[in-house]
Amino acid sequence: MQKYINQQNLNTLLDTLITQGIRVVAPRMNAGTPLYEPIAGANEMITDQLPRRSAKEAFFPVCEDIMTYEKEGQKVTVTDIDPARFPETLLFGVRPCDAAAIPVLDAVFSWDYKDEFFLERRRKTTIVGLACTAADDACFCTAVGLSPSDTKGSDLFLTPLEGGGYACESFSDKGEALIANNKELFTEPNNSKSLPLAEPHTEKFDLKKVKAWLDEHFEDPLWDGVAVRCVGCGACAFVCPACHCFDIVDEGTEKAGKRRKNWDACGFWKFTHHASGHNPRDGQPKRYRNRIMHKFKYYDDKFGQTLCTGCGRCVRVCPVGIDIAGIVEEISKK
Amino acid sequence: MHPEKQTHAFEPKIIAFVCTWCTYAGADLAGTSRMQYPSNVRVLKFPCTGRIDPVFILKAFQQGADGVLVSGCHPGDCHYIAGNFHARRRFAVFRKLLEFIGVDLNRLQFSWVSAAEGGKWVEVVTDLTERVRAMGPMTEFKELAMEEQWSGAINTPELQEAYNSI
Amino acid sequence: MTPIDTSIYAAITDAIQTEAGRILSEGQVTAVVGYAAARRKGSAQPIVISNPDDAQKLIFTAACVNNLAVYLTKAKKEIPKTGKIGIVVKGCDLKALSGLMGESQLKREDLYLIGVPCAGVLGSTVQPATELTTGTIAAKCTECDAHLPTGCDFVPNQTPITPELEQKYAVEIARLEALTPAERWAYWQEQFSKCIKCYACRQVCPFCFCEQCLCDRNKPQMVETTPRPAGNTAWHIVRAMHLAGRCAGCAECERVCPMDIPLNLLNRKMAKELKELYDHEASFEVLDKGPLTMFTDKDDQSFIK
Repeated sequence: MQKYINQQNLNTLLDTLITQGIRVVAPRMNAGTPLYEPIAGANEMITDQLPRRSAKEAFFPVCEDIMTYEKEGQKVTVTDIDPARFPETLLFGVRPCDAAAIPVLDAVFSWDYKDEFFLERRRKTTIVGLACTAADDACFCTAVGLSPSDTKGSDLFLTPLEGGGYACESFSDKGEALIANNKELFTEPNNSKSLPLAEPHTEKFDLKKVKAWLDEHFEDPLWDGVAVRCVGCGACAFVCPACHCFDIVDEGTEKAGKRRKNWDACGFWKFTHHASGHNPRDGQPKRYRNRIMHKFKYYDDKFGQTLCTGCGRCVRVCPVGIDIAGIVEEISKK
Repeated sequence: MHPEKQTHAFEPKIIAFVCTWCTYAGADLAGTSRMQYPSNVRVLKFPCTGRIDPVFILKAFQQGADGVLVSGCHPGDCHYIAGNFHARRRFAVFRKLLEFIGVDLNRLQFSWVSAAEGGKWVEVVTDLTERVRAMGPMTEFKELAMEEQWSGAINTPELQEAYNSI
Repeated sequence: MTPIDTSIYAAITDAIQTEAGRILSEGQVTAVVGYAAARRKGSAQPIVISNPDDAQKLIFTAACVNNLAVYLTKAKKEIPKTGKIGIVVKGCDLKALSGLMGESQLKREDLYLIGVPCAGVLGSTVQPATELTTGTIAAKCTECDAHLPTGCDFVPNQTPITPELEQKYAVEIARLEALTPAERWAYWQEQFSKCIKCYACRQVCPFCFCEQCLCDRNKPQMVETTPRPAGNTAWHIVRAMHLAGRCAGCAECERVCPMDIPLNLLNRKMAKELKELYDHEASFEVLDKGPLTMFTDKDDQSFIK
């Protein structure tokens, strides 16, 4: 379904949903940093900056409880988290590179084990994508087969128009429902042209060729060359819209505590550290190789998809300038 | 005659990290001399103030202490020659850090109490307890422990009720 | 915003290339750690070279922000520590090397220091092609007293032109000190709430060379390892405390923070206190003992009953 909504009606829509008790998550400034966070009103929203962290945390939180325990005398009570208590959410203003990662993550979270924490949040969330009007030289969505107007992952997709307002197109029942439930705010589509969209200046990678090379080059001097400088932090994985590794820890006292799930990163030396003290990935080049392999080979082997949407966040935040786009480009030219 | 026990609306929890050679012996002396001091203080014994890591103080606040006392031998009296000299520098810096982070330093007390100073132990503990009592509970770290990143937060009936009552 | 003169960086680049090529081909060093250009326009990244022909890859620009001293610590096992190693250092980086030598982590005779006369580097390399101006310069450079490293084996014969700048940290520390404890608490909680425990601050720090960080341990767990507000606050307090009296002021922790937490503010505050209390300052001098591993019998104890 195609519709039009002006800025004022859009603000009204968000404010109405908030008053109805729906959690609206949108890009906003938090202490000087743009992040996807719940907003208290449409006036908090910003649409001109790519949030520093991706939208994955709406489904895959930085940290969440998965169980609580209490001990009183000899009696131990273990309580599971009830997914029914996850809030209904509207995830608004999601960049195509962030939205596209979400269906990619569906594959791993509903594979041999159905992760209710992820899937229930997914069911309760409507995603409104927003076409992208600004790219920098770290962006490379076009190189991995997406684009600044890619609607993958969005229930409703907005394209900013010349003269204000947005063209809206729905791609799912949730998107249809959002329009149907607020139909007085949407009007029929007009003929305004879209604002000029972003143009990332990267060549399209031949992902088949990249994978073919990775299939054959588990051992290769390239890994030392690119990753000897890696300092072993988790910044790349944590800002990534598609990285989804997590760690589970128990925190608390003997009397009461929680089992928590939080983000983990393959760059950490502890990631593969065995209880015996042995570490099969005993250096940063091996850890970084895993990052590339997982994104462009393993995930493809298993689910037929690429675990990278070209948002460029890891390129921007890497403390030592490791550039995934540059590396994949190098591989694709081999 | 024991003075009549007073009851208060708020009984602060005070954690005391003390060295075994001086302050612990001093506290012991206060006890054997039947001196009265507030029972709010929980004493944790260490070999030396030099062993008391600043992270212990942090942990005490996180686990619900309203006030923290660190006490050991007077300078020059350390059983290990210099442990308290090292501690003195470390705590001088650590308290500045806590202050900068926004912890009210009135909740944190350092003292030298020797094995002979049962009276001083009583005075230090009583002063700190009464000062913290007047300040009320230390809420900062407790509230922090309840907080979640937005993405991990869930709707609980209690939270909803609290929200509705605003 | 006025531009800052970085015209000497081209001549410095030439000098570094020549010197690195010479010491490698003469066999004086087994490797040189320096900076090289990367794919994005204006960007630079650390590089380790062992072939004299690769010396021409070395550069120095305002985007050469990294403190390369981190690669020489025992925590970074990927860089071979055999034989003498050459390293390109700015003044702030040299202070870190001096600190590491003082802590018996490095020996001067194992290093060949190529010092860089530095007019300043960028505060952020998210967009590396940015011009160096009074607005884009790193906050640490506004308070720099180490534009010209001394005691190196080689320093290009150039003099940086360094304008007087407003001391960004001093101003911000004074602002925060004037607040009430509750206001300061609120300020830091807002900042720490963004933390995701990626530990970039720890991993780039030359002084965080512990085999296992206290904050990674779970038995006993002194600090919550999960990225929740409580654990984040504890982590940043512990980090600042463990660096007090050791931090050389390279501000890498703050630069690399993907969440823009002003971490170096904590380090600067600690440095200020150590200066006032014990007259200690990070410098090129190699000290036998840092301020928190020594004492005098006259140390201030006005805060102790």
